[in-house]
Amino acid sequence: MKLLDLLRMIVDNLNRRKSRVALTAVGVVIGTASVVLLISLANGMQRNTASQIGNMGDLTTIYVYPGMPMEVSARAGGGGMGAPLENPLNSDAIEQISALPGIEQIIPRADLMAGSTIKFGKLETWAAIVGLPIQDAGILGYTAKEGTTQLERGAAILGGWAAKNFYDPSLRPGQEPPPPPDLVGQQVRVVIFKYSEDGQEIRKTYTFRIAGVLTEARAEADNWLLVRMDDLVPMNEWATGQRANYKRNGYNQLIVKASSVETVVDLTKQITEMGYMAWTPQDVVQGMNSLFTIIQVIFGGIGAIALLVAAIGIANTMTMAILERTREIGLMKAIGASNRDVLSIFLGEAAGIGLVGGLGGVLLGWGGGKMLNLVLLRTLTTQAAESGGLPPTVAVYTPVWLPIFAVLFAAVIGLLSGLYPALRAATLEPVMALKYE
Amino acid sequence: MGQQKVVAINGLEIQIQRGSFTAIMGPSGSGKSTLLYLLGGLDRPTSGSIVVGESALDQMDENELAAYRRQKVGFIFQSFNLVQSMTALENVEFPMWFSGTQPKYRRQRARELLKQVGLEDRLLHRPTELSGGQQQRVAIARALVNDPALILADEPTGNLDTQSGQNIMLLLSELHRNGKTILVVSHDTRMLRYATDVIYILDGRAVSEAEYRATSELSM
Repeated sequence: MKLLDLLRMIVDNLNRRKSRVALTAVGVVIGTASVVLLISLANGMQRNTASQIGNMGDLTTIYVYPGMPMEVSARAGGGGMGAPLENPLNSDAIEQISALPGIEQIIPRADLMAGSTIKFGKLETWAAIVGLPIQDAGILGYTAKEGTTQLERGAAILGGWAAKNFYDPSLRPGQEPPPPPDLVGQQVRVVIFKYSEDGQEIRKTYTFRIAGVLTEARAEADNWLLVRMDDLVPMNEWATGQRANYKRNGYNQLIVKASSVETVVDLTKQITEMGYMAWTPQDVVQGMNSLFTIIQVIFGGIGAIALLVAAIGIANTMTMAILERTREIGLMKAIGASNRDVLSIFLGEAAGIGLVGGLGGVLLGWGGGKMLNLVLLRTLTTQAAESGGLPPTVAVYTPVWLPIFAVLFAAVIGLLSGLYPALRAATLEPVMALKYE
Repeated sequence: MGQQKVVAINGLEIQIQRGSFTAIMGPSGSGKSTLLYLLGGLDRPTSGSIVVGESALDQMDENELAAYRRQKVGFIFQSFNLVQSMTALENVEFPMWFSGTQPKYRRQRARELLKQVGLEDRLLHRPTELSGGQQQRVAIARALVNDPALILADEPTGNLDTQSGQNIMLLLSELHRNGKTILVVSHDTRMLRYATDVIYILDGRAVSEAEYRATSELSM
């Protein structure tokens, strides 16, 4: 039998039993639609999370914190008196880490060790005051919303969130809050305070010119006031009353830039093995990816159960059809159909039901996804606005391969569930089949 | 369908001439239908040999038998065996799907044959809209569609009234004159008027006319 004739006959046969084909296909429609919708949902979640993680920083960056020495953490009860509890991020550490292959740059970071408030006119805000020995915040992957990322002595760069949060402390409830000030090129006062031995608060004010405001990125830097390291050192010396010796006592953090994305995870592991706490946004991305793979598998599994039920439906319909059409099968054989012809026709009909259901399911799942997107995006955007997060970009995302895969998968499911009935049809004894009542 | 072994035909040795109109007469259960199905390649003998033309049917595998049925034989059944959901035209076209005939030619050929059996005004009727005689004529057209040399008819007049049965016999006789080998299983004695040869079967054996008549009269 010619392939084209076979296809035409299958279509004709399905056409002749429209209502039964439709009812059987509804099962497949539901199964396929749930597979498409659920996997799209998992995909959308992943995309959304990925786009937010993507803002957490450059994927070539490793953040290193002081770590517990290996011997100490291995010994129960910890080290004795006088033994350092941490591996400090001092010049030895920097030397040790920079010896690793694939390290491009190490930027030490120091934090202000005192309370602080940032004032602009009568407005106030709070920010973590961070010192870095850099000329351009751009090398950390930050971009300027206003002004520049260039950092000179006496200048500061403010995080996007801190810049937005200026408020007027003298404002009474009900009064209109002031609009966010235009800060670039303006002087802000940084008031830091410490307590004397008798509990008196002592304040000191430093002045910085705002060189730029960073684009909000849902990252730590949103709440930074970034200054040059050499500007921060005197502030910390005033706050602690001691001379700063970072080279010996260690920095608060090292920002390590790797030369390529591929080596980052490996480098992070090596630095951790040296006895420091190292972390990279890639860890999160990888963790998220495996988490979402699991979610996709679970969601896909739920859909697959629906498809399995549909497959049993197809098998049932085809078995019934073969009982009903026993004489027709006998006749087909009498007029010269080979076993293979009969097998192909019934397999084709089963696959056809799967295909029809698959197409319907993809349309339903895809359309449902679009609808869900509209509803979910609105809710999620409102939620994000309330909690201060970035609005989600997408809630349900259908990758291109999914509908194609789903339709083919449904057809294959149909084919498989038609296998047993079709084999039975093909091997019917023609004489018995012709006499069947 | 049961597992019980039934011997329908045993020790039957017959020869049928090419171009003959052979009637196989016998009471029901005599094995005459089984003989027909064996000759048509729908059934296989457990032992013995069947040769039609150059084809040894007992030596053939399933695919070869299907090809044999497709090219060499046309079946006509007592209960017509038309596909209820197809029109007369589609029923006649049906065998040509499996023989790989061009779709355009299929329609033309089916029309021609339906005209030949006198149903040119019933092309688009379904079996339920046709009389028994008309249905059997559609079935005859279907049997002729691949131009087989051998026509096998299993009680073709069994479900028909006298007049329709007569017409079917005339039609078969005409096919015979046109060169087909016709083999009819029947217990309608009118068939003998058109047959060139008669084979009598009793309990799976070929018997002489005299023996057949003697037994038939005894049992009556």
